[in-house]
Amino acid sequence: MLSDTDRQAVTDFLHREARLADEARYAEWHALWTEDAVYWVPATTDPGADPDKHLSHIYDNRARLDTRVKLLQTGHRYSQEPPSLMRRLISNIEIERADDGELVVGSNFILAELSVQADHEMHWWVGRTTHRLRRVGGELKMCHKKVVLVNAAEPLPNLSFLI
Amino acid sequence: MSLDAPAVDYKALVQDDRIHVSLYTDPRIFVDEMDRIFTRGWVFVGHASEIPRPGDYVTRQLGMQPVIMVRGRGGAIAVLVNRCMHRGTMLCTAGRGTTRTFACPYHGWTYDLDGVLLGVPYPGGYAAFDKGAHGLRHAARVASYRGFVFASLAADGPSLGEHLGRATALIDRTCDLSPEGEIELSAGWVKHRCAANWKALPENDSDGYHLGFVHLSLFKTVRSTQYQRVVGEEKAIKAVVRDWGNGHIEIDWSPGYQRPFEWLGNASGPAVDDFVARLERRDGAALTQRRVMQGPAHALIFPNLFLGETNVAIVQPVGAEECVHWHTPVFFKGVPEFNGRLLRMSEAGMGPASFLMPEDLIVAARNQAGLRASTVEWLELTRGLNRESIDAEGRGVSHVTDETTNRALWKHYRSVMAEA
Repeated sequence: MLSDTDRQAVTDFLHREARLADEARYAEWHALWTEDAVYWVPATTDPGADPDKHLSHIYDNRARLDTRVKLLQTGHRYSQEPPSLMRRLISNIEIERADDGELVVGSNFILAELSVQADHEMHWWVGRTTHRLRRVGGELKMCHKKVVLVNAAEPLPNLSFLI
Repeated sequence: MSLDAPAVDYKALVQDDRIHVSLYTDPRIFVDEMDRIFTRGWVFVGHASEIPRPGDYVTRQLGMQPVIMVRGRGGAIAVLVNRCMHRGTMLCTAGRGTTRTFACPYHGWTYDLDGVLLGVPYPGGYAAFDKGAHGLRHAARVASYRGFVFASLAADGPSLGEHLGRATALIDRTCDLSPEGEIELSAGWVKHRCAANWKALPENDSDGYHLGFVHLSLFKTVRSTQYQRVVGEEKAIKAVVRDWGNGHIEIDWSPGYQRPFEWLGNASGPAVDDFVARLERRDGAALTQRRVMQGPAHALIFPNLFLGETNVAIVQPVGAEECVHWHTPVFFKGVPEFNGRLLRMSEAGMGPASFLMPEDLIVAARNQAGLRASTVEWLELTRGLNRESIDAEGRGVSHVTDETTNRALWKHYRSVMAEA
């Protein structure tokens, strides 16, 4: 069973992660990850998609995740320079404890992104996220984040912000 | 548009050293292009490996025309117009699938994989119905080269061989890297939306001048990218651009490469060793060494196929100010471990979340926004006119930062658009 404390900690984590991503606070967002990070945004809604056979929008291990964050921090990642103005809502949270004690958290999101790098245009991003969270030194960290966009297989505008 | 609107004078708009702003913004020009380039000309549809078994199909667009590329029962590939011959309903709306027939959901007209009309419900309502006259419309011409399937909706015109000319060597460069001589496109496509005219994509794909600027974030972050050798001092840069004729254009980074697999992040390890060993069994050590030094082609096959090194990409027009860039990794037949490297390379380079294309497409969108300043009528296109030359094989060649490729693209564009 999941304690109310755990449940609250997970919700707090999701809200904080969302806010750091929304506000382009790259270093703080980066610090939420474990060393064995996997950050996955499939290019399909097919639940059977295999990231080792099928093309993804993002399939980052820790090294590539580090590069992704560093690019944003150069000030020359022009697709996010200046950063998009964003706010995302998170809901429909469901939490399970896996056999190894890690928390597997499903949640839905709606993200409004005002793209300000060329035309000023609002993009809406909707999907379901699955986080895998683990306690490291008493704090929750994410080791796996999978974001399945409802329009994963459709033509997408730039997705170089942190989703 | 009134019927007596004067025809656009493409010879005036496309000059040898400058091009007119309306070519990127005028909806009337877009309509002309969809007819003259994407309906009458040869257009890349897809790769045979995408539909390996009878009944497999993918849906695509030739310009604005929706089509189905399908493998028939006998194994031949057909390109069918994706529209029921009764009332026009689109037959396939999925991107891909496998089927025995194409059945229209509206009144149940059903066609076989070759587009032959099999049956019409309640035939008593037709006095004399000729099923043979109501089969699905085929692309008038379909031809392929090493699995790359091209189609034209016009019955007449140059053959695919004439259109490709010697640019088949560019397709060979990529396919010959496969130890079995065949590539496979099986990883699925990512589609990246771009708020710019479609021609911005082939122009940028063949532009070696922008790298150190548009992609500065990458150069500041990753010390040894394959492009490191093309952002130094101008005279030290050895990479070149080439004009292969008929609008087919290339950037060749390889004169600047110093080691094998610079095009794959200096890849090494057992999967790479195995790949090299397989190539050596076929081609011997010397030719293999040359192939893995040079890497796959970086070239645009006019108008919509981009051989993007470890990717195949499609330029899909949407409207005068919108297009979509499709890409999928090139897989080599028989080397799944090595293909895993190509898959991750593809995600790094192309697509909306990659480390290169978002910058290309945001700059394209800024170009499109800037071109609304239509009181400034011309885009300048002179870079490299002072030093480009013709090589021994008759190809135009110049420094990688020169606009030789873009001029070649526009020259062919003018010949196609002004022909009508």
